[in-house]
Amino acid sequence: MSAVSPATPAPASRGADGSPLTLAGQMFGADFLKLRKKRGTLIWALVLALGPVLIFFVVGAIQHASNPQRYEPAGGVSNFHDGLRVIALLFGPLAALLIGVEAGTGDASAGVFRDLVVTGRSRVALFASRVPAALAMCFAIIGAAYAVLLLGTFVFAGGLPTPEGSLILDGLGFILLSTGMLCAVSVGFAALTTSKPGAIIALIAWLIVASPVLANIESLGSARKGLLSQAVAHFSPIHLPEGGHNASIPMSGGLAFIVLVAWLVVFLGLGAWRTRTMDA
Amino acid sequence: MPTQTDNGGSPGQMTGHAAIETEGVTKRFGSRAAIDGVDLYVPRGSAFGFLGPNGAGKTTMIRMLLGLTHASAGSMRVLGHPVPSERGQALRRVGAIVEEPRFHPNLSGRENLRIVAAVRGPEVQARIAPALARVGLSERADEKVKKYSLGMRQRLGVARCLLADPLLLILDEPTNGLDPGGIQEFREMIRAMVEQENRTVFLSSHLLDEVEKICDHAAIVDRGKVIAQGPIAELASGGAGGARNELIVGVDDVELALGTLEGSELVREARRSDEGLRVLLSGDIESAAQVNASLVRAGVAVRRLEPVRHSLEQRFLEVTSRLDAPVAQEEVRA
Repeated sequence: MSAVSPATPAPASRGADGSPLTLAGQMFGADFLKLRKKRGTLIWALVLALGPVLIFFVVGAIQHASNPQRYEPAGGVSNFHDGLRVIALLFGPLAALLIGVEAGTGDASAGVFRDLVVTGRSRVALFASRVPAALAMCFAIIGAAYAVLLLGTFVFAGGLPTPEGSLILDGLGFILLSTGMLCAVSVGFAALTTSKPGAIIALIAWLIVASPVLANIESLGSARKGLLSQAVAHFSPIHLPEGGHNASIPMSGGLAFIVLVAWLVVFLGLGAWRTRTMDA
Repeated sequence: MPTQTDNGGSPGQMTGHAAIETEGVTKRFGSRAAIDGVDLYVPRGSAFGFLGPNGAGKTTMIRMLLGLTHASAGSMRVLGHPVPSERGQALRRVGAIVEEPRFHPNLSGRENLRIVAAVRGPEVQARIAPALARVGLSERADEKVKKYSLGMRQRLGVARCLLADPLLLILDEPTNGLDPGGIQEFREMIRAMVEQENRTVFLSSHLLDEVEKICDHAAIVDRGKVIAQGPIAELASGGAGGARNELIVGVDDVELALGTLEGSELVREARRSDEGLRVLLSGDIESAAQVNASLVRAGVAVRRLEPVRHSLEQRFLEVTSRLDAPVAQEEVRA
């Protein structure tokens, strides 16, 4: 058995090379590793993000092959719009939510949070490193789903027009905004509740039930602009009809931006506060 | 062996020289005090046992020292730094296992250490392999932790502590769940850390035997109060100021021996026992020779004369049973 070599400790908030970035990079890597090895969550996130897109194209292609007169090709710009809605507004956010909750509660549910706290590292730093790791994992999965969408759009286009480069880029930006926002909010909310099942149930209920219902209550008027889904929808590169789950209540770009920032500040702030103050 | 005197401090005088110093630390849950005005002094370079029955407040005390929960009152210093105000500085060279060591079960032992090393700082990555080797887990470091036995998880917990290159190890009931071989191995590792590497080990346990075999200093805690603390030998004998120097004396004529010792200034008390006589000396143990001489001069044949070895268990039972009566905290100082 060899002895552990003594070492001069680095300052508490800096890396060995004096760069806080080195430390932040390592903490990000550690949190990403935890997510990457959480197979169950990853599989479900992949199923939710990729599954509907694959089904969408497979069914469309079969229908077109069986009856080309009645069914258009599965690809093309129109189907790209439908696929974008599926990823950006429904199944992508569900996948993002699972990843965000896993990142927000993983340490606590495994019982290792106290072991990280006793390193002396700031609890807020421990919380903060979860957010970019969750976003990186979320974007990798959503990016894969978007790649499948683009592939299907072009491969199954037949004679239909295909999306232009600007729409492809705008679409990518939109799904990253939509899923990234929900992922970050989920990290904060999950850290606040410290309960993985509770956070998942509450966020799904909000996403699928409460938020669309509130968006449809016209008497709420402009208060509905405070909904995350409405602020996100403002940045959609494709038309979203007014009213309904995929609704877009007209608002200025500045207001939509402020609403997004407010959601991030509130939920990440609450998550950080809970992480800093709770008994470990 | 360092003592409180060597370090120039004692409970109630926070000097910063000790590995751990606390003064009047209290933790309340509602109206109940889980920890009640505890003063602790843990000398650097010692193996310190924090001994008490289950529910005595040992884990609560450890959690406060590590900043996992806040104290309701009092002050604490860990490696010279006040806690919680300088918690980051204080814990930089502290390794700890609180209750059962927990890990991400879906990660390997090595990956679990990588995560903690990343949080401690980039330079710590280089300590992972030596730490695994130190606890004998190199061969199985790449297996998922969910396949580890409890003993392996305990060892991995110690390896995680070693990543800090710790000046102070805080271990909460560390031998729980270990088999006898594992306990022996663990004892040897702790003693080596203290004696060869000059680390301080603060070890909580409800097992008297364990503390007596591993530690050189101890504090006895019961119902949230520290009721005695100091070097193990002095704790067991009743303390430096009140050591019980007692002899077992085997003689051929008990009556004659009792008559001879009665009134002797060397003897505080003499009484019959299964072995012959139990003699409590007035002075130190060196006066046993004079007692022997006086018995022989009186014509008593002495076939056995042996100092009574007090165990920590006896002392523990004495002091904890005293808690039923209102007593002041007793401190044994070196």
